[in-house]
Amino acid sequence: MNFKYMKLTLDGPVAVLAYNRPEVLNAMSPESLAEFGEALDVIEDPASGVRCVVLTGEGRAFCAGANLRERASGDAPEAGAVLDTSYHPILRRLRDLRCPLITAVNGPAAGGGMAFALMGDLIVAVRSAYFMQAFRRIGLVPDCGSSWLLPRLVGRARSLELSLLGERLPAEKALEWGLINRVVDDGEALNEAMKLARELANGPTVALGLIRRLYAESTENSFEEQLDLERQFQRAAGRASDFAEGVQAFLEKRPARFTGH
Amino acid sequence: MTLERMKLTIDGPVAILAFNHQEVLNALSPKLLQDFNTALDAIEDPANGVRCLVLTGEGRAFCAGANLQGDMGKREGGKIDAGAALETVYHPILRRLRNLPFPIITAVNGPAAGAGMSFAVMGDLIVAARSAYFMQAFRRIGLVPDCGSTWLLPRLIGRARSLELSLLGDRLPAEKALEWGLINRVVDDGEALNEALKLATELANGPTVALGLIRKLYIESTDNSFEEQLDLERQSQRTAGRAQDFAEGVQAFLEKRPAQFKGR
Repeated sequence: MNFKYMKLTLDGPVAVLAYNRPEVLNAMSPESLAEFGEALDVIEDPASGVRCVVLTGEGRAFCAGANLRERASGDAPEAGAVLDTSYHPILRRLRDLRCPLITAVNGPAAGGGMAFALMGDLIVAVRSAYFMQAFRRIGLVPDCGSSWLLPRLVGRARSLELSLLGERLPAEKALEWGLINRVVDDGEALNEAMKLARELANGPTVALGLIRRLYAESTENSFEEQLDLERQFQRAAGRASDFAEGVQAFLEKRPARFTGH
Repeated sequence: MTLERMKLTIDGPVAILAFNHQEVLNALSPKLLQDFNTALDAIEDPANGVRCLVLTGEGRAFCAGANLQGDMGKREGGKIDAGAALETVYHPILRRLRNLPFPIITAVNGPAAGAGMSFAVMGDLIVAARSAYFMQAFRRIGLVPDCGSTWLLPRLIGRARSLELSLLGDRLPAEKALEWGLINRVVDDGEALNEALKLATELANGPTVALGLIRKLYIESTDNSFEEQLDLERQSQRTAGRAQDFAEGVQAFLEKRPAQFKGR
């Protein structure tokens, strides 16, 4: 795809989307987010056959967050406006993806970049990567959904610590805290993410997409509401041909061949 | 201001408030809670310029919870209403702590039991001495966790560990609490207040408007949908972005120097 700030590669059923502005550590701007949106148009198009998305960064950073030079000059008086116009629409589309999202955190993920890193259903980071809630360093609050995701990932005490102090959280500590799923050697994040992505891209995509949605809703639902949601989603999953194949393969004691339908 | 059961020290932008009834391990009584309220009046008064609160205990305990020796409260048809004091005395203080516009650090210098544990875990950052422990003592006397324990605990450490603490009523040592993500730091005995003051100085010199809004974001977060929280972040970002500290923060970043935040 012909983008300036993002890079999209379709590798069979896996889409690899990379921040591609290494000279500013992949800092985000309204322009890069517009391209992010166009890349999602392609990814979401059923004709592309995408069954898993990997989000990563080119160069040595994952994403340094919002580009402060642009943010400061562009809309300084209203630090929240660009959230409405540029960031939130993308975050909603990532939340609503019908296939799994894996983030390959190849280097530092700060501010809004940390928020995007944590949007992964599975999160792989290199050993030298770190996560930083940089917002408080410039007098802002965590945004891009950070304050929704963090307490659900690491609990209240650790969320507050990260956000109030704004210090770096190294990848190993993030793994120990249960914030992320894998730590690998430097340079290996994308390879490891691709292994997981191929596994998921050959899975029962309808069910995997519904699993994402169950966990997006779970923490606010009452027990009763969640039972009901599981029941609705089980109906939808059970109607997919992958369910019939899964049962058949189980009975025949062979690996299932899921097609994502 | 004469306080008997609490001790308040305002040290520049940091207020240190200590439970001060050592002979009963700082157990909570009506008089103590009245003093707590009086101290909060001073802490909240903008004239005092407080930008961070440290809550701790004098002596060897942080707080042993409600004082069981005292008046157990109202009787209803001959039976004690063990919930009445919550409404009249405890909840107003918990709400004031929740609503503070700047961070709270708790320096858990020793055991924190029952309601004392609840106050300890109200800290935005929680520092404990190595020999300190946390105990959901309620079930030992046939009561349920109160003072917000059952709201805070699952948000701190999840369902399994919350139920374990509340149903068994066992001591949770500080080191284990750290491992579980209930608290943020464990330090040597006698060092909890020092460590808390280091963190407090850092926070009291931070962008107070943003830090106060961060507290609120995390209070609301777990009950909000993703959509509601995005909206709250957006509103909070507008407010934070209007404070002078944001302009200073961006300027300092661009000039590659440390920011000098004023709390406005």
